[in-house]
Amino acid sequence: MEATIEVNGLRKRYGRTVAVDGLSFTVQPGQVTGFVGPNGAGKSTTMRVILGLDAPDEGTALVGGQPYRMLRVPLCHVGALLDAGAIHPGRRARDHLLWMAHSNGIATARINEVIEMVGLTSAARRRAGGYSLGMRQRLGIAGALLGDPPVLMFDEPVNGLDPEGIRWIRGLLRSLAAEGRAVLVSSHLMSELQDTADHLVVIGRGRLIADTTVAALVAAASGDRVVLRTAHRTEAMTALASAGATVAATDREAVTVTGLPAERIAAVLGERGLSFSELAAHRATLEEAYMELTRDAVEFNSPTVRAEASDE
Amino acid sequence: MRSTVYTEWTKLRTVPSSAWLLIGTVVSTVALGSLITASVNTDFCPSPVECFEDTPKLSLTGVYLGQLTVVVLAVLAMTNEYGTRMIQTTLSLAPRRYRVLSAKAIVVTAVVLVAATVGVLGSLLVGRLILPRNGFTPLHGYPPLSLGDGPTLRAAAGTVLYFGLIALLSLGVGAIVRDTAGAITTVVSLLYVLPIVAQFVPDPDVRKFLLEYAPMSAGLTIQVTVGVDLLPMRPWAGIGVLACWASAAMIAGFALFRYRDA
Amino acid sequence: MSDRFGHLVRAEWTKFRSVRRWVLGLLIAIGLTVVLSTLFASVGGTDANSAPAVADRFHFVHQPMTGDGSVVARVSGQEPSHDWAKAGVMIKQSTASGSPYAAILVTPRNGVRFQADFRTDIGGSGRTAPLWLKLTRSGTTITGYESADGTTWTEVGSVSLSLPQTVEAGMFVASPEIVEIQRQFGGTSIGGRPTLGRATFDNASVSGGEPAKWQHEDIGASMFTSDETGATESGGTFTVSGSGEIIRLQQGDDDLIFNSFTGVVFGLMAVIVVAVLFITSEFKRGMIRTTFAASPRRGRVLVAKALVIGLVTFVAGLAATAGAFLLSQPQFRANGYRPPAYPYVHLFDGVVMRAVVGGALFLALLAVLSLGIGAILRRSAGAIALLIAIFIVPQILFGGLPLNVALWVGRVTPVAGLAIMQTTKRWDTAIDPWPGLGVLAGYAALAMGVAIWQVRRRDA
Repeated sequence: MEATIEVNGLRKRYGRTVAVDGLSFTVQPGQVTGFVGPNGAGKSTTMRVILGLDAPDEGTALVGGQPYRMLRVPLCHVGALLDAGAIHPGRRARDHLLWMAHSNGIATARINEVIEMVGLTSAARRRAGGYSLGMRQRLGIAGALLGDPPVLMFDEPVNGLDPEGIRWIRGLLRSLAAEGRAVLVSSHLMSELQDTADHLVVIGRGRLIADTTVAALVAAASGDRVVLRTAHRTEAMTALASAGATVAATDREAVTVTGLPAERIAAVLGERGLSFSELAAHRATLEEAYMELTRDAVEFNSPTVRAEASDE
Repeated sequence: MRSTVYTEWTKLRTVPSSAWLLIGTVVSTVALGSLITASVNTDFCPSPVECFEDTPKLSLTGVYLGQLTVVVLAVLAMTNEYGTRMIQTTLSLAPRRYRVLSAKAIVVTAVVLVAATVGVLGSLLVGRLILPRNGFTPLHGYPPLSLGDGPTLRAAAGTVLYFGLIALLSLGVGAIVRDTAGAITTVVSLLYVLPIVAQFVPDPDVRKFLLEYAPMSAGLTIQVTVGVDLLPMRPWAGIGVLACWASAAMIAGFALFRYRDA
Repeated sequence: MSDRFGHLVRAEWTKFRSVRRWVLGLLIAIGLTVVLSTLFASVGGTDANSAPAVADRFHFVHQPMTGDGSVVARVSGQEPSHDWAKAGVMIKQSTASGSPYAAILVTPRNGVRFQADFRTDIGGSGRTAPLWLKLTRSGTTITGYESADGTTWTEVGSVSLSLPQTVEAGMFVASPEIVEIQRQFGGTSIGGRPTLGRATFDNASVSGGEPAKWQHEDIGASMFTSDETGATESGGTFTVSGSGEIIRLQQGDDDLIFNSFTGVVFGLMAVIVVAVLFITSEFKRGMIRTTFAASPRRGRVLVAKALVIGLVTFVAGLAATAGAFLLSQPQFRANGYRPPAYPYVHLFDGVVMRAVVGGALFLALLAVLSLGIGAILRRSAGAIALLIAIFIVPQILFGGLPLNVALWVGRVTPVAGLAIMQTTKRWDTAIDPWPGLGVLAGYAALAMGVAIWQVRRRDA
């Protein structure tokens, strides 16, 4: 089976709210695809539709070219972590994985493998009710890996993990993708995805906003801004402005220059004999890029904090 | 305190099942009462005058069924908090725990009393309309059911009170047990199963005690209007016994609620 | 495809056995059933074996008869005091109540009958009075005849009785009680209203007897005063009034086997709770999504669940019903349930096996019904309350509802399933055992059908 997820023209309404509105994207194998969007954008809904849990009003969601509900042993095709809390508290972790294995005819030896993979070996015989959030996440991940599937979907997998756990997950996701699997990860932690994801699908208010690589997105957001640190700020700003650039002071010593390439700025400053300590292309963080992109699509707005609040 | 009560009221009224359960209480009380009154007639008696049927109590028999939805409503008001772990939010908003439980008690009892009043009035109305057609006429010594009649008023008001006390009993058990299925089973057993099991206790004194003081048997003496002298306890004493049960459950519930971890 | 389903069943079994509470719940169901059945058996009792075996009460107008001979009379009229009022001629060993006899008689609505020794009952023609009746004794054989005109006799029946040389022979009148069943909440009372029968006879004679030497008296204790019963004679016509019945009494109609399972009514509550939780726990915390992601064929998942809970409950139910039966029998026997009124019954008797296995089937079907309702309602509180309302509330109210309403409820609602454990048919039996279980099975299938239809269409 091809390791892909294809979503085409998906539309889903709950009552009067349109959760997903004409969404189309593809998740390719061999890379980690981040699935991002503000709260209420429709990420969880989309994932549920892909898994055949909710029926779309229009459009299709195919896994390896097939609808999920047609798969004979779905856990061997798609592994998913939707909600870490979805475990019966009275059940032992091992038994939770056991029934999943039984339902899809997966060999019980595999259970010990995945338990070891997620680091729950010592806790496997305890009842899930006593688990911390992080342990439940790991158990959910173990469940997703149970069938050794070529397609993986994780909804907020880093929730509740400590820094060590977050690092572990990052490594796991990347290695899974490196094995040729299609990995779809939804997250709110932009900083995380920055180092984990290769490709991004950004949605807002149920619609696709961007479907691109992380590098391209960051580059687009970065624009051609350059950060300049110099002791002679005022003179530098005047000189650069007259050279045709747009300048803005960002703090005591830093200036953001737009419109001139870095070499030209160096040349202009050199002509005036102005020294500088730093001249670097401003690389937007994924977070900045994302905020800019989804500014209009945010369903739940908090009052904007002006980023240029200077404390001069 | 007022804000706590208002919070609990909001919680109760925004859960759709509350409305359905209250409607269910009214419907099942009136429906069962109607079934009973429609099926009783004077043909079964040696003569119509010798029937000795307790017509107000008969019309109010719907309580046997109506109290089930009250039990569910009151239990859920408490156990829902634990099921959804909302209890932590609730207690962080109102750390004085006795207030939370009191507010729940006030709100739940109030809505149950309203529903019970509707149900009781409805049952009596149906009884008033149907019974004369089945031979229970003034001629045979059965005046039409009327709240102007002292004993009937007592039976009706007492039944409404009975519903309220059942709600309190269930709320208390819910606070003690904290689990929906367990609490409902406990209250149902207390009400329906205890009298049946008690009949088979060998010791006659213990048996008598259990049969008379079981919550449902004691509480429903309030409905009796014929042969009141033959009852093991006076009607208001019976309601008093039920009130003791409800108080015990609430007190235990308060204590456990306050001292246990959330 | 079938091995896929086997996987589902295996998964559901793992789910069930891995939650301690549910396993415990079924064990409690067994415990409740066995303990409460034994408890009930230890305090229930009967005096069927010490109660009188026969009723022998009537008014007798008689003369001694020695050796072979016959007694004849024409019943000229009979009052219809009861469908089974009796007027006729009898040969009786003595005037002691309960002593052997043979009689040929006519009734207002059941024709002519030849009856003897509280055992024999042979029907004759459907005629009513006026009618000629005759009994002849020849050695140990007594034969009864009827005739329309007193000349042509039709034999109705005969019996072999060893009676002394001298017996009493003559005319008799009896009229049984009208049985009244009063049902109230809190109990059922069965009472009887006595009736007074009256008949007129003429052309009465006993071979070898003297016409004037008739004696008459009440045999057995009468419900009526001696002013009301009696016999008068005027010009060869006798008017006889009497009350009572000449019959072998039914010796206790308790359904001993059914009564061994009274604890089931309580055990079934635990079954309801476990079966409901088995499905509603999936809808909490979104666990149903994990289930349906692992097995998208939702209908099959529900069927697998029903199969698992049904089988597990069946096994537990067998332990419960067998245990209840075995432990309650010694209690019953100690309390009077013994032969001859109540023959001993054993676990492997056909009837008992049907009740024991049937009871386990009842609990299994109840579990499936609970699962279906839990799947439809998705909330444990509502499902449990609904099922309790269906199964427990009728028990409380049954006694007080009028018989026809109670019977209807017992036939049409799922409570009919309890009939599978009944072994005798009484006046208050609503439905036969297997059809009753069929009704419950129908409800369970309906609930499952709706649940499956619903779960496939709804969002998880």
